[in-house]
Amino acid sequence: MTDTTTQPLALSVSQLSWTHDDCAILKNIQFDLPAKQMLGVIGPNGAGKSSLLRCLYRFILPSSGHISLFGQNIAQYSARQLATKIAVVQQDTPQFFEMNTRQLVAMGLTPHKGLLDSTTSKDNQLIDDAILQVGLATKAELQYSQLSGGEKQRALIARAIVQQPQLLILDEPTNHLDIHYQIQILQLVKSLGITVIASIHDLNLASAMCDNLVLLNQGELIANGSPSEVLTEDQISTVFKVCCEIEPHRQHGNPLISYFYHDANQIIVGH
Amino acid sequence: MIVAKQHKYSMFVAILALLTVVSPFLAASFGAANISASDIYHAMAEKLLISSASDHTSNITQRIVFELRLPRIVLAFVAGAGLALAGSVLQTVTRNPLADPYLFGISSGASFGAVMVFTILVEGMFSPSDVIALSNGQVSWWSWQNLLLPIGAFVGASLSVLLVLCLSGLGRAAQIERMLLSGVATSFLFGALTSLVLYFSSPQATASVLFWSLGSFAKANWAGVILPTIVVSLSLMIILLFKRQISALQAGDETAHTLGVSVAKLRMSMLLLCSLITAVLVATCGGIGFVGLMIPHCIRLLLPGRQPIIITAIVGGLFMVWIDVIARCILSHQELPVGIITAAIGSVFFLFILRHRR
Repeated sequence: MTDTTTQPLALSVSQLSWTHDDCAILKNIQFDLPAKQMLGVIGPNGAGKSSLLRCLYRFILPSSGHISLFGQNIAQYSARQLATKIAVVQQDTPQFFEMNTRQLVAMGLTPHKGLLDSTTSKDNQLIDDAILQVGLATKAELQYSQLSGGEKQRALIARAIVQQPQLLILDEPTNHLDIHYQIQILQLVKSLGITVIASIHDLNLASAMCDNLVLLNQGELIANGSPSEVLTEDQISTVFKVCCEIEPHRQHGNPLISYFYHDANQIIVGH
Repeated sequence: MIVAKQHKYSMFVAILALLTVVSPFLAASFGAANISASDIYHAMAEKLLISSASDHTSNITQRIVFELRLPRIVLAFVAGAGLALAGSVLQTVTRNPLADPYLFGISSGASFGAVMVFTILVEGMFSPSDVIALSNGQVSWWSWQNLLLPIGAFVGASLSVLLVLCLSGLGRAAQIERMLLSGVATSFLFGALTSLVLYFSSPQATASVLFWSLGSFAKANWAGVILPTIVVSLSLMIILLFKRQISALQAGDETAHTLGVSVAKLRMSMLLLCSLITAVLVATCGGIGFVGLMIPHCIRLLLPGRQPIIITAIVGGLFMVWIDVIARCILSHQELPVGIITAAIGSVFFLFILRHRR
């Protein structure tokens, strides 16, 4: 679907494995990601999505394998260098002490500032622009803990924008959000025009938003490619253990998945 | 709302600046000898401007002000500022709102180190007259005898930090209660070791050591003020330099890592820095508890959402200066060790925090 040859590789993962407490969490993962594309990481709970992302931003060190970021081995980056290349948006940021939205967004400057550097008016402009871009201008002085789920997520994205990364990694950015915010957050991320990797639970959302998908199951890479290559009835029923039917979406043409339910009563009681 | 907040902040800074200017004069006027604030002003003006012509104040007043009260006020300010800084940094890097050099066992580790050094000095290496000269500030501050106590205290403090970290396991999610209990256990352990050392040492050493366990500025002199001032000022500068990294730690280790912070290295360095501040202060004025707990909390309540490092230090310093005034004046003809007062206020404050914690 997307021409992958025109863009240089942002990320190249080869033979990546991670074993934790004698349990193989990731097994021999291998994929490439061209720059400026949006990659969705999908798979059932416990498939290893978060672990894979954590290896990519070097929070955990893989047991074996190689990750190359913009042509350079990820291990060769210093902590600060890496943070200028990759920004990460987690589901939520733990709050131990009060911090307002603007302060949280300003934290994105951390890797760009030496010990003696102060915050310049240019930095303040960058922070204000990022807050404006995610639509939180009226909430900048509110405490982060007072924001709603969607607003918190947008504040974290604003922090990532201030970090000026070339690769943005999001760990389940749409969790706990209603469908309005799910679409809004992913469109916002896409509009940044940088390489994005996001783990996403909703397969239809992943199909609609991502250029490429990586399907994981029990730590193994099952499929990698465009949404129509990855989201097949066979693969979904094997990995997620549900029956489904797939047709092209009327608007974007990517797979639209309809699930079948075994027992009509279960639907009535809310399953 | 933003304007109102900004206004409140400016007011706070203005009041603080005013208090910082007038506190030395007012605080120096309290004490056994009756000296008014204006006498102190004149004494200071004469001393600083060396204008012997306008001899307003008597020689004895000058000596009381310059040799007894001012070094004491400076030491109290430095100690309060240092403890508030150490508490604030400890709370941030361990993400534990109840962290404090005292509750964390750092103070008792430092006391143990200082007591070990002191008893060895008294029992073995020095004659009693040397020890008296040392405690009266008749030895220059950089002499090795004067540095032995802080070094002993620093070794003890660092040991206690390592012990707390081992017991509480920092690798896991912030377990506030676990860390607090580890601190209390460490505190008991070093307290017991200190008692053991005292049990086997001479009564002379035991009497001197009581000073450490209670905390007091009564022995303050200019020579003794220099080392704490240098250590606290340098620490303040280091903390200011690493302000962004320290505040990134607040958002969790993983977030701090993604912001380019070397989490383990930074946390260890900051814990050692807090040990250093605590050790030097314990060696100079004994174990003064709860200041590091109370001041950062009050600042957070008064100025929510800001982490003003310099203001925290100044408020800590002023608080200590005035607590010391209370210690001097609350009983007639006798002064109370300042550690008793901070512990009394601190324990009530501690219960208040526990009650209001979410």
